[in-house]
Amino acid sequence: MTPARLLDIVWFLLIALTLGGALLGESADPGLWVTVTIALFMAFKGRMVIDHFMELNHANHKIRRLVRLYAIVIPLMLILTDLFGPHIARLTALPY
Amino acid sequence: MLRLAAPACETDDMAEAAIVTSDLEEGHIPGYKAMWVGIYAELTEFALMFIVYFVARAHHPDTFSAGSQTLSTVAGTANTLIMLTSSFFVARAVWAIRANRLKQCERWLFAALLTGLGYPLVKFFEIRWNLTHGLDAHDGNIFHMTYYYLTYNHLVHVSWGLLAMMWMIVRVRTRAYSAEEHAGLVSFASYWHATDLIWLMIFPLFYVLR
Repeated sequence: MTPARLLDIVWFLLIALTLGGALLGESADPGLWVTVTIALFMAFKGRMVIDHFMELNHANHKIRRLVRLYAIVIPLMLILTDLFGPHIARLTALPY
Repeated sequence: MLRLAAPACETDDMAEAAIVTSDLEEGHIPGYKAMWVGIYAELTEFALMFIVYFVARAHHPDTFSAGSQTLSTVAGTANTLIMLTSSFFVARAVWAIRANRLKQCERWLFAALLTGLGYPLVKFFEIRWNLTHGLDAHDGNIFHMTYYYLTYNHLVHVSWGLLAMMWMIVRVRTRAYSAEEHAGLVSFASYWHATDLIWLMIFPLFYVLR
């Protein structure tokens, strides 16, 4: 497969996941599984952009790891906020 | 210098030429090191704003749950498609220059620019739509405050990127880059993809999640 063809496939996947994610958000009842699915979409799409558009899959390991971590930590924070929202709120509340 | 011989049977725009891939060696730093300082600054800035978002979401779950229903999903989705497509065109431009196809590289960049200009245009209509529906940053709704803060900041980064993209077109047109030397273009591409990456995080948080 040529690099161009691979980019075409990645772009198509990203577009399909974007439309699928938007449809899911519009049609599904809110719940943990919807949040987890959307977080997984975020992580996967982020990884696709990082590895194939930014071409970090063979780049300097420090740059690669830090940027890849970004697309893992933010979706993970979303799941944690849904799971432990009241605890996070207590931990981050200002003392009166 | 590495040269990647592409398959002769392909009719792809870059398949016939030997592609210079010296900027893809294992462990390479894409583009200029200085650009990575800028990209990390950008990622850190947005990471701090994401922390604010999650803390606010933890404190006001109902406001955030209802918030995305007040925004235009069409505008958010359109801007995601625009960012992804513009980013894709920039990635194709980089591969075109590796094949020393300067004219094609320029065309891909033009396509990326035209697509990218759709972002501020959609944003303009989105904000107008918001204001007619009473959504502004001062309505006391914390979801709307974080939404305006993050998305306006992202708009600023996209605007810089669009200006840089125009400069890239000038540089390619004046033959400042070649298959052997195009670190400036790769640096810009890295910035544009990082800006795309940030939008991929923003979009579901504000427009998709209920």
